[in-house]
Amino acid sequence: MNRCPSRQTRTGGMMLPGLLLGLLLTLPSPPAFSEGRLAGTGGVSSINGSGGGGLTGWATLAGYADTGETSGTVYASRADVDDFRLDVFGASATFSNRLEIGLARQHFTIKAADARIEQDRFTAKWRMAGDLIYGKLPQLSLGVEHGRLRDTGTALALGAADTQDTDYIISAARAWIDGLFHRTTLLNVNLRRSQANQYGILGFGGDDPGREWHAEGALAWFATRNIAIGAEYRQKPDNLSALREQSARDLFLAWFPNKRVSVTAAWLDLGAIAGQSDQTGFYLSLQAAF
Amino acid sequence: MTVRNRKKHWVGLRPLILVMALAGCGTTGQSDTLFQELGGHEGIDRIVDEFILEIANDPRVLPRFEDSNVQRFREMITEHFCMVAEGPCEYTGDSMVEIHAGMELSSPEFNAVVEDLIAAMEQSDIPLAAQNRLLARLARLRPEIIRI
Repeated sequence: MNRCPSRQTRTGGMMLPGLLLGLLLTLPSPPAFSEGRLAGTGGVSSINGSGGGGLTGWATLAGYADTGETSGTVYASRADVDDFRLDVFGASATFSNRLEIGLARQHFTIKAADARIEQDRFTAKWRMAGDLIYGKLPQLSLGVEHGRLRDTGTALALGAADTQDTDYIISAARAWIDGLFHRTTLLNVNLRRSQANQYGILGFGGDDPGREWHAEGALAWFATRNIAIGAEYRQKPDNLSALREQSARDLFLAWFPNKRVSVTAAWLDLGAIAGQSDQTGFYLSLQAAF
Repeated sequence: MTVRNRKKHWVGLRPLILVMALAGCGTTGQSDTLFQELGGHEGIDRIVDEFILEIANDPRVLPRFEDSNVQRFREMITEHFCMVAEGPCEYTGDSMVEIHAGMELSSPEFNAVVEDLIAAMEQSDIPLAAQNRLLARLARLRPEIIRI
């Protein structure tokens, strides 16, 4: 595995986004700020690059652009489990509460080796029908997520068939204003067609291809107008005979002090990763919307 | 398909059905009416006062109220909230469609008014559960208010 992950020095990867966020918090709201949708309806930023939850995107579109508006987000996330770390930096734009496009860079670190694998993510999501809150039909979205590995050595050495591929996702989301215990309650379900090994970080496909369609679900409960707690579940492909892959899940707390920023913390259970079993740990994500 | 098979088929959906059933029960089977939860006539009067102040300070929607008679708006919205909350009132105003027809209100404008109402209820110390119950009932009127 001599072509694999490039060695690199440890840097404070979260420092710059943190400063950026601090700066944004102190700025007054410009009048052009697109915020036609209600607080919290943009969700947070997933590690995949799509807006929604943390582990996976939802049918919701990132930011707060309503009809006729445009909005954007920038974010930084870190998932830190026993033997690995994933840092994600990304940005997205949403047009008229109809189309969301996103770009993200993932940095995956194998702690023991201090080695890194990078992946670029390109995402798009189209709201086909319905609405998250209003009307009879839940919000129905169609998403594509393209992953392209920048460091391909590890994936190829493990037997992955490809170093880039595209996921297709059908999502439905509904938020009940007067939901469980009279608190706003959101439910999202996804069906994802994917061959990604560990979100694409270990490539796509392999010598022992499993099923291609995977179920994902999320439940969020707004204890207050600004604080949501919830859980997510994500089935994953299992394509590499050498390495078993399991479903991922999390319990999260998201704080939306206003429509400009959100902070998400989660407890993660990612199952086995690259031969290391029971990978649990913490997730932290900061998002700024404008 | 046999009955047994059908039964099995639904097992996987149980958590989903449970959530939807629980989410739905929020609006029924209450011993206290929403009117009481909102603080009765006094509570609704306070919400409406704050609501008018919020709208008056909201440049996103204030132009839409320029031709409104504040006193009539106050009386009618008070009656309307009272009726929606199942209080002892009769709403004597025009229908939602009659009031908003021709205004071509947008979704962002509707949401801005929802935010003003939330702020008004916060100012009036209305418990979150009662806020959500009222908002959910009013949200159903959205097709009679926007884009007409």
